[in-house]
Amino acid sequence: MPRDAEKNSLMFDATVLVIEDDAAIRRAVKRVAVLDAARVIEAEYARDGIDLAAAVGPDLIILDLGLPDAEGLDVCREIRRWSAAPVIVLTARHGDRDKVRLLDAGADDYITKPFSAEELGARLRVQLRRAIARAYGAEAGTERIGHLSIDLPGRTVRRHDREPDELVKLTRTEWDLLVTLVANAGRTMTHAALREKVWDGASKDPRHDIRVHVANLRRKVERDAMTPELIITESGVGYRFERPQ
Amino acid sequence: MTSRALWPSGRAWLTWFAVLGAVHLTLLTVRDAEGRQAHIALIFLLVVLGGSASGARGLGTALGVSGFLLINYYYQEPFGTLGVAKSIDWVVLVGFIATAVVATHLVQVARDAANRANARAAEVLALTEEAKRAAALEEADQLKDTLLASVSHDLRTPLASIRALADEMPASPTAQREIVAQVERLERMIRGILDFSRIKSGPTEPPELNVVEDLIGAALRQADGILRGRVVRAEIHDDGVLLAQFRFGDTLRALTNLIENAARHTPVQSPIEVRAHSNGALVEISVVDCGPGLPAGEEERVFLPFYRPAGAPPDGGNAGLGLAIARRIVEQQGGTLTYRARDHGGSAFTLTLPQAVQAATLD
Repeated sequence: MPRDAEKNSLMFDATVLVIEDDAAIRRAVKRVAVLDAARVIEAEYARDGIDLAAAVGPDLIILDLGLPDAEGLDVCREIRRWSAAPVIVLTARHGDRDKVRLLDAGADDYITKPFSAEELGARLRVQLRRAIARAYGAEAGTERIGHLSIDLPGRTVRRHDREPDELVKLTRTEWDLLVTLVANAGRTMTHAALREKVWDGASKDPRHDIRVHVANLRRKVERDAMTPELIITESGVGYRFERPQ
Repeated sequence: MTSRALWPSGRAWLTWFAVLGAVHLTLLTVRDAEGRQAHIALIFLLVVLGGSASGARGLGTALGVSGFLLINYYYQEPFGTLGVAKSIDWVVLVGFIATAVVATHLVQVARDAANRANARAAEVLALTEEAKRAAALEEADQLKDTLLASVSHDLRTPLASIRALADEMPASPTAQREIVAQVERLERMIRGILDFSRIKSGPTEPPELNVVEDLIGAALRQADGILRGRVVRAEIHDDGVLLAQFRFGDTLRALTNLIENAARHTPVQSPIEVRAHSNGALVEISVVDCGPGLPAGEEERVFLPFYRPAGAPPDGGNAGLGLAIARRIVEQQGGTLTYRARDHGGSAFTLTLPQAVQAATLD
């Protein structure tokens, strides 16, 4: 689906690296990526992909998990050792444990095959936006996200979908959780990763249950906690904060 | 002990007492007053040893005591009484009984050791067999995992290519749409079959504490495509955060199957409801529709794998595994999945899961 009107809508000369051995999928990814990136480079093998990543320093990497010459997980780990560029993994595996392993290996997101161009485009733009935020540095002020505004220094959240605006009362845990999710917007955070960030990982307290705190947080910040728009559940894996487009 | 085991033992007693009797009768003919009791005692001792070697400790001891009495009564003066005339005779008698007891004991110890060794050998053999079987099972399991993973990969990769190629032919939007629809249909079927074989082989992880609202929200999101343009209501009747013990990924599949099933078999304009409430130690989640409901007699059959409603087109775009998978998933976690016809038409599929409680959350 051509989206010329949206081309380079991100105002950023991004380079996207596609590591994929299947020519048809490589072309499909390229077709989607050129809509938002200045340059798309391709590799068919893991070895070339890693070399290109090291030489060019792309802003985003799209990595196929089933490359002929290397295990995708290892490629992901290898790249993560020296690159902070977001990595989107293309995988034909649908198991939850595979997904958790991928995220733990440093992937930022995954798309399961077969996927649509729209799906890939949406994920790609989310990750590019993260890359831009990193490149230009996020402002530590008040941030407007959909119907919410989050004031980091003031540690307050307001909802603008109610009349008049409403100050949201969050507990310390809920605030930490929200800030962690927003800081990693677009990235799926595993339950373990969230625990680690919110309670420094060491806690074995059964009351430290991410799921219950997320449920409480959703009631306070989502328009409808049952059909959340901001804090999305990734089945069996964790949660992802989605910025409204 | 069974009679079968008793029989050989009984036969040993009969045999050895017969031998003792025969020996005794033979020896009686050569008995003399010269007093060769020591020789006679030696011969009896052989009988005692033979008996204890073939029978149990009891047989050896009984033969020993009988031998003692026979020697004393028939072979030592005065004959025909249990009295003993010469003190040397006492030595022979005591020597006889002591040797008989010690020999019986030694034979028994040796036999016990042999029995233990045999038992241990049998045990080791059994363990080895078991280990072999476990290893074979594990190997089969691994093979199945590998097979499923590669089937999943090998089927989906070409699908992904076909789908990507479809996007390249905007010249024919109808053909493009059709290809994409067929790819999606194949993908649904592959997922159904993979889910079914995975779930059939049993759960791999224990159920966890999860939030019911999260489950319903994720299921509605997953069924988003098929629910487009429909009125869907979701309600949880609970004041707090309703918690249950379940495997999120599997249970999400089960609930999504129920919702998709309702959407597939009811008119687009009829609403679908998802309701959850606590019922004692259980959480009940129902998917309720206002469609035609199931024909009488089909209420249980719908949960069979590859079920298709009578008269339904064979081309429903799914493998007929949805409800079978859902029930299996729920039952593996100590829950149930049942169908009930609603009073004024429509179906209600209700799944139950063990409710979980949690102390107030900590901040």
